[in-house]
Amino acid sequence: MRDAFFEALAELARHDERVWALTGDLGINLFDPIEQAAPGRVLNVGIAEQNLVGVAAGLAYAGRLPFAYSIAPFVTSRPHDQVRVDVAMANAPVTLVGVGGGLAYGYLGPTHHAIEDLGIMRALPNMTVLAPADPAEVRRATRAAFAADGPVYLRLGKNGEPDVLPGDASFVLGRATRLRDGDDVTLVSTGAILGHVVAAADLLAARGVAATVLHYGTLKPFDAEAVVAAAARTGAVVTVEEHSIIGGLGSATAEALAEAGAGAPVRRVGVPDAFVSAVGSQEHLLAHLGLDADGIVATTLALLRERRPTRSLR
Amino acid sequence: MSALSAQRAEAARRTVLDAALAAGTCHIGSALSIVDVLAVLYADVLPRAGAEPHRFLLSKGHAATALYATLAAAGVMDAGEVVAGYCADGGHLAGHPERGVPGVEMTGGSLGHGPAIAVGTALADRHAAAGRRTFCLVGDGELNEGSVWEAIALAGHLGLGDLTLVVDANGLQGLGPTADVVDLEPLLPKLSSFGWDAREVGGHDHDALASALGAPGSDRPVAVVARTTKGHGISFMENELMWHYKSLKAADRPRIEAELAAREGVA
Ligand SMILES: Cc1ncc(C[n+]2csc(CCOP(=O)(O)OP(=O)(O)O)c2C)c(N)n1
Ligand SMILES: [Mg+2]
Repeated sequence: MRDAFFEALAELARHDERVWALTGDLGINLFDPIEQAAPGRVLNVGIAEQNLVGVAAGLAYAGRLPFAYSIAPFVTSRPHDQVRVDVAMANAPVTLVGVGGGLAYGYLGPTHHAIEDLGIMRALPNMTVLAPADPAEVRRATRAAFAADGPVYLRLGKNGEPDVLPGDASFVLGRATRLRDGDDVTLVSTGAILGHVVAAADLLAARGVAATVLHYGTLKPFDAEAVVAAAARTGAVVTVEEHSIIGGLGSATAEALAEAGAGAPVRRVGVPDAFVSAVGSQEHLLAHLGLDADGIVATTLALLRERRPTRSLR
Repeated sequence: MSALSAQRAEAARRTVLDAALAAGTCHIGSALSIVDVLAVLYADVLPRAGAEPHRFLLSKGHAATALYATLAAAGVMDAGEVVAGYCADGGHLAGHPERGVPGVEMTGGSLGHGPAIAVGTALADRHAAAGRRTFCLVGDGELNEGSVWEAIALAGHLGLGDLTLVVDANGLQGLGPTADVVDLEPLLPKLSSFGWDAREVGGHDHDALASALGAPGSDRPVAVVARTTKGHGISFMENELMWHYKSLKAADRPRIEAELAAREGVA
């Protein structure tokens, strides 16, 4: 996802003089192609994230379209008041780009995990929140961020993820993407965890459970209609996110369903309300937290058993 | 130099490399940069007869293996457990130190946090007339963080003589030489102008480190600018930016062993 972002950004910078690329001392060698395409419009501000975001805001006030890049918590939490006041309150067209969304930085530990970024960014007025699923969607989301009028948070995973969405999938800002149709349960996903969600849907299918799969490449504005319709059809909803169960996709889904008066029960698969102190790779931590395909299947089956106890008796 | 610090530094260097080899992780140059500083601190400076040791805060948390290895050399951790548990699936030591792990005072990993915390502990100890000093180690790239200078300004203003900031001045940060990113030199006059007793020292010279670190400031906080070499001790890593990122593979074991053996010959 990371390389896809840099390719898309270099392309944008080549074609539009307003595009700037800023970094907080991260992205070794990755800015060189942009510097070539857009000489003088790349700047490493140093390890200084408040400055990173403030400088990006100033560039935006001066008519530029800056992309500010760092590790996800260091572009959302570390400079949060600059994000809130200089960017969001000003409705400035700054794109904040966080690499290592969720648990991508696995063994580097909780300072490097981004498990609250979606929640805190979603809570900010004016902020658009994008969490694409795969490299191809990162390219589309980067162009959507460029085209957006106001501030955007773009959450990236790591590098080298496979493409999961169909090749002809389009990216419409504010629209969920439906990947599968099934009547038994709705699996709702955001960001790079989609591969695990699709794998879970396959495992469920093998057990006779047909899942609808919805992917939210845009978490905010939230496409309430899509999940309300899917819940009406399936009667049960499981949200899956590489994020705290508080404030992110699970919350947005529950809010939308509750406000629509939908009766469907919701289970949130995500990081419980605790920092992840277990040590290990991303895959290890996902399995540990029940966020891999097996964990998603287990939560889903437990929900369905609760819902329709008679069914399991058959 | 103290024989103890020299011997512990060699032991710690080995543990750093063994852990990096076992886990296949990065930030090796950053850790080797501070092995000598930490060896001197833990052998000769932090211990206090009949009292709790002085405090140490590792702000540049990405050098975690240097801290774990030093704690192992000091008997607080077990070297074998460090190598086995560091960044392993289901292990007990993450890539950055977390408060709560024995011997670890602060959670590191997000740069720029240590100096303010150090002002807090130094204030508490001064208030309690505990005679206890606080040492905080930051990277020279980390000095880019505004929060570091907020703490420097406050400590200077408060005249916190029991606070010592050690700058690991290896001249390199994430994307290049510190001089090319945000040049903060000359550092000594900057720190002095904030009311600090600023000292400069060779960062791998144990005697010089011991005397610069050993003497508290009277009514001014002390800044020790340690001129270090990133990757110190392993020739092919020294001053090489990419050893911030690269990891060791099993195939690297022989050349690491050769370098360590050559060091033993010298020591
Ligand atoms: C707040 C924050 N921003 C960025 C990073 C990513 N990062 C980790 S180490 C590093 C470079 C550190 O340079 P320096 O302080 O000189 O330490 P050295 O590696 O030279 O020991 C960067 C940018 C981080 N860990 N925390
Ligand atoms: Mg440095």
